[in-house]
Amino acid sequence: MKQLVQVGDMKVGVKGDEIVTYSLGSCLGLMIYDPVAHVGGMLHAMLPLSKINPEKAAANPYMFVDKGVPILFKAVYNLGGRKERLIVKAAGCGSPMGKNEMFKIGERNYTVLKKLLWKNGVLLKAEEVGDSISRTVYFDISTGQVTIKTGRNERLL
Amino acid sequence: MKQGRKREIISKMKSFPSMSGIAAKVLKLLDDPNSSAGQVEQLLKQDPSLTANLLKLTNSAYFGLPSKIGSVRHAITLMGWKKITKLVMAACVNSITDRQILGYGLPPGVLWEHSVAVSVTAEGLMRELKIPEGDEIFTAALLHDLGKLILGAFVEEELDEIEKAAGNGIPFQMAEQEVLGTDHAEIGALMLESWSFPSKLVNAVRWHHDPDSAPETSSTIDIVHVANVLCLMIGIGAGVEGLHYEPSVSATKRLGIKPTQLELIASQTLQWVKELTDAF
Repeated sequence: MKQLVQVGDMKVGVKGDEIVTYSLGSCLGLMIYDPVAHVGGMLHAMLPLSKINPEKAAANPYMFVDKGVPILFKAVYNLGGRKERLIVKAAGCGSPMGKNEMFKIGERNYTVLKKLLWKNGVLLKAEEVGDSISRTVYFDISTGQVTIKTGRNERLL
Repeated sequence: MKQGRKREIISKMKSFPSMSGIAAKVLKLLDDPNSSAGQVEQLLKQDPSLTANLLKLTNSAYFGLPSKIGSVRHAITLMGWKKITKLVMAACVNSITDRQILGYGLPPGVLWEHSVAVSVTAEGLMRELKIPEGDEIFTAALLHDLGKLILGAFVEEELDEIEKAAGNGIPFQMAEQEVLGTDHAEIGALMLESWSFPSKLVNAVRWHHDPDSAPETSSTIDIVHVANVLCLMIGIGAGVEGLHYEPSVSATKRLGIKPTQLELIASQTLQWVKELTDAF
């Protein structure tokens, strides 16, 4: 089944599912996959820290990297995923051009992700982050294959 | 050659059907202190789809009215003159932007959603920064990308060249200028000028990617600029050009905005957009 992850959203899937997200700009797209259990999940988080809007974080934790990432891992564990087998990949975290620090939300998203993963002893297997581009991510849960598309350009992650 | 291209684009712009004739008359009526709700209602009756859009917007969750509004007259009484003007504008913009935009790779509905997103983000930023809300900010934001409706077909033809130019490190609208002799901000402003829109609106559209080049800087231009970049970043309306625009450091300084304020607004934008667009 094809599942769509909206901005500030998370979806998990099993063999036969494909999970897609569109328009990853400065948002973080995080894909985790257990190649033995053939289960996985994708998060599309918009902002680094939930303390900016606790009320919103209570209603929708997936909007924030610090809240969404732990829930994604738990959801995949619930499907039978095991931490030691997980393949973790990140995409997105782009920024507009120039040096305006105000708009470096993508970089801040990435920093918070790295801290979280480091604290929990999880490594990123692959990443395509940064740049002034918008990415679409296709995540095939049968194979674990992650494909990124930008404009007319498509590549594997 | 570029000049020839620009002339071709402008001539196509001139043949673009103007916003519904009724809409223009309604906006004029709303601008006239002596007009009445009854007159506005009479006029709107001649354009049922505009009226339907207007009522959908009025009844959207964004405004949180306690009961459903079924008539234009009731809507005017409840919302007030200024809000109704904005909503008539939004109803018109919906009818022309709610389609696929060639060249920029925007599927149907995305430019409309982006236009609404920039409008509510702009209003949110005004409130957050405690800038007295000008009537024009919502409309300026709503119309900022109008030029894409015309320029899209030309961008489609020259996309390789434009992407090549942008690849050399210049923002997308400058790449459009380099290849086509004009860009979507300039074309949008020319459209509004030809429809006799107020210069404040024309300028906000004209300089939404380059607020520092405006003959006179203004918070309206700066806010539309910031709101637009923010919406693209959070994935509302980013097309082939992605985030290939450069936010002005001076504009954010002029506004005195902090990163936390920007993030707070970003955290609310999605819900505001959903509330307004779910009505359609």
